[in-house]
Amino acid sequence: MSELEWILFILAALLFLWYLTFTASRLDRLHHRVETSWASLDALLQRRAAIALEMAHIPSLDPASAVVLTRSAYLAREAEMAERSEAEESLTNAIALIAESEDFHMEFPEISERLEVVTQRIRIAIGIHREAVATTKTQRSRLIVRIFRLSGTAPLPVVYPFEELPL
Amino acid sequence: MRRKLRIGLVSPYGWDSPGGVQVHIRDLSKFLISNGHEVSVLSPVDNEESIEEDFVVSAGKPVAIPYNGAVARVLFGPVAASRVRQWISLGEFDVLHIHEPAIPSLGLLACSIAEGPIVGTFHVAAPKFKIAFAIVPIVEPIVERLRARIAVSEIARETLMSHIETDAVVIPNGINWDSFQGAKPRMEWQLGKTIGFIGRFGEKRKGLSLLIDALPKIIESHPDIKVLVAGPGDPDEIMKDVDPTLHPRITFLGLLSEDEKRQFFKSIDLYIAPNTGGESFGIILAEAMATGVAILASDLSAFRNVLEDGKWGELFSTSDSVDLARRASALLADPLRRQSLASQSSEGAKRFDWPVVAEQIMDVYDLVSGNGEKVVLASGNRAWSKLIRGRGE
Repeated sequence: MSELEWILFILAALLFLWYLTFTASRLDRLHHRVETSWASLDALLQRRAAIALEMAHIPSLDPASAVVLTRSAYLAREAEMAERSEAEESLTNAIALIAESEDFHMEFPEISERLEVVTQRIRIAIGIHREAVATTKTQRSRLIVRIFRLSGTAPLPVVYPFEELPL
Repeated sequence: MRRKLRIGLVSPYGWDSPGGVQVHIRDLSKFLISNGHEVSVLSPVDNEESIEEDFVVSAGKPVAIPYNGAVARVLFGPVAASRVRQWISLGEFDVLHIHEPAIPSLGLLACSIAEGPIVGTFHVAAPKFKIAFAIVPIVEPIVERLRARIAVSEIARETLMSHIETDAVVIPNGINWDSFQGAKPRMEWQLGKTIGFIGRFGEKRKGLSLLIDALPKIIESHPDIKVLVAGPGDPDEIMKDVDPTLHPRITFLGLLSEDEKRQFFKSIDLYIAPNTGGESFGIILAEAMATGVAILASDLSAFRNVLEDGKWGELFSTSDSVDLARRASALLADPLRRQSLASQSSEGAKRFDWPVVAEQIMDVYDLVSGNGEKVVLASGNRAWSKLIRGRGE
């Protein structure tokens, strides 16, 4: 190879290396986004579980509802990651059973207002989390990322089944 | 109880040129400040002395470029970039809220320079452009940095999804609902039967010429009809192609102040929004609704949303001057219908009131900034900058 060819070859190699590191930092940033968006969602879900426990302690609530609420709220708070989605889903259903009646809203306006606020925030947080996961997955599926293992040891992010359900 | 935040907002367009995005940012800032947050707005500014708001920081003079069927006054280049850099590093923001991060202006610059809790709001609704394949690879890795995306309408969200395949939360634009209550009509604007139009009428997509095309038909059933046109622009430019017999019926009022705008809505019999496209939200419709006036608007998806499919005002088929004339004539002939529309619509505008809208925006702020992280200058390509500068982050 002539001198010029060598220079061009080295330049191309440098450019390629630059692109690899560029893509790696991009992925790093995306993983960070997934983590922070999950952390926000997680915090809100914990708050919802706390509100559900409060609801369960309302004296005038019938004992059956109280048991269902308490059970699903504790499950949601203490579930391992593997069971988390199912636990959140059953908490959603339990809350819906009780909070969706007109009477509940009339009798306990304060708690039902707080529940409404937290549910609205959970909806937004789920949207943000799902978006972060989807973008990260798209980037990770690129050939260059897989060949050069640019995502390192980060686990593949997932959207939990309960996020697909309406709240 | 919300945490008090330091919030940095980035405006893509000249602060002192008229436009919905700037008004949105101004009103949002004022609302945030009144709620105890600290706010700084970085914006292109034409004439620094004309700026009344002390929270606005100039990033330099904007340049005019054609964009999305209008002339946009935007700002970019190395000088602007260093201003953005400086503003971000001095600001120590808890949240950076970038408006139009995908438009070549300060928003795109800020988004490429910053890292951390960043929120982006997308206002534009536009069909997918032909050169998208060339633009998307540049814009995508930058917009990817946003922790949360907001679209101002369903159509803005669809635009975003089709352009750069990313989803967003829909939060509408806000209005100061209270300030539109109790407006009084102005005598000199009550000229018998009047139709009102507001907008930069020089722009074709605002549809003034469609309204003028429909006018002869409307005159057949309403011989005394007058048209009041408000908004910035050159009347001669429009009127030179218009049948001279129509000239006495059309009055140009120029740019109205906020107070005058309310009086305007109260003075006219029918507000018409004949826009032919490119509308993402239609804040003017929300304002007209809040004041309480009968509305006839083209059935663009943005307008259909604001009017809830005709619940708060009537719709005609977009760009169809015959349909416009027919429906306008019918409404003008039916004072009871107009009165009932006018008295109800104000209720329908409550969902755009700032306290309602800002609450949703602050929810998003809380979500992205929950862990107390600050907005910092991006380390760019981390490994590479370490190599070149020979130091860590």
